[in-house]
Amino acid sequence: MRSLGTLVIVLAVTAGAQAQSSSPGPLPDWSGVWAMQGNTVFDRASVQPPNGRAGDAGVRESPPYNDEWEAIYRRNIDRVKAGTFADPVSTCGTPHGFPRIMNVPDVYEFAVTPQTTWILAENGPGILRVYTDGRSYPAKEDLWPTYTGASIGHWEGDTLVFTTVSLKASKDNDVIVDRTGVVLSDASHATTRMRKIDADTIEARMVIEDPKAFKAPWAVTKQYKKQPAGTWAWDYACAENNRNPITDSGKTLTLGPDGKPLDKKVD
Amino acid sequence: MTSLRLQIGVAITAAMVLVATTANAHHSAAMFDDSRIVELKGVVKELQWTNPHVWLQVSVDDKGARKEWSVEAGSPNTLSRNGWRSTSFKPGDAVTVRVNPMKDGSAAGNFIGAKFESDGHTIGRWN
Repeated sequence: MRSLGTLVIVLAVTAGAQAQSSSPGPLPDWSGVWAMQGNTVFDRASVQPPNGRAGDAGVRESPPYNDEWEAIYRRNIDRVKAGTFADPVSTCGTPHGFPRIMNVPDVYEFAVTPQTTWILAENGPGILRVYTDGRSYPAKEDLWPTYTGASIGHWEGDTLVFTTVSLKASKDNDVIVDRTGVVLSDASHATTRMRKIDADTIEARMVIEDPKAFKAPWAVTKQYKKQPAGTWAWDYACAENNRNPITDSGKTLTLGPDGKPLDKKVD
Repeated sequence: MTSLRLQIGVAITAAMVLVATTANAHHSAAMFDDSRIVELKGVVKELQWTNPHVWLQVSVDDKGARKEWSVEAGSPNTLSRNGWRSTSFKPGDAVTVRVNPMKDGSAAGNFIGAKFESDGHTIGRWN
């Protein structure tokens, strides 16, 4: 069930989107293939230890969690240490979701049209649709929490500004922000400002608010570097040969070529 | 015929511990011990050029018995953009492969680099 807070956000953003639905000027050229910079820690500005990798025991960031959600995060960090903080995308069945879709390896493509911008993540694969055609969010009875949510935006010059709502909350870590253990509640929503800061760099500044989990907004910036001309993006058929299933305890197994676990202890 | 030996080495250097993060794009890497490097000298059995991970199957001599190791690498997508081909490893190639091994000692690891006995060329991180 969606929260009242999320409904308020939906209505507020709807009004904002409608007010700014006038035709944009020339749209920026975001063509080509791009790669997210750095490892997959979501907030690299606060990660401890510096340059720590998501999934390594002890690595943590500093989302502005309240006490209740800080305790949840600490439990997740303990699960990372124990090797039982499973990555839900290992099942090859669900998308990364937002905001994680902005923070995945492999490459990206950005398809910009006046009506819609598609953020296409090769890894996953994942698609984030940002509608800039002046539409409103669906009525509350037609909107339900999803992994990637609902995004409506507008152009401010060369900057795409969009707000993402109706995000599926983490329940038993079935959707995560990254492998350090960061998760969000069903009250989370975010406003992203995305623009090209030089010929080869696109920057996405996200401000994530989560009235249930955060004491303050969480600002995180990601950058994407343009890859050499002619770079290809490919299929990412996750289920093609997934040799890493998850056990009920959250352990990630490693299968041999015969499909049987190589792990000496399965659970 | 290549002399097949399994060399368990603990040759830690700061540079070599930094395995390619793309190798773990799809799942937790908790099973790998990135503080250890194992050097496998053997013969390629198969390269599974598939998503979400490429897998290199290597037949290694372990105290006189053949032992097959499963070596996990990144996605074919990113590896192909970094010089790999689906034919980079062919069945029968004599290779030395360096991996971060599984913590539990099972015959699998996370790919770091490989050197081919035929001409000494390398793939991945080697120096």
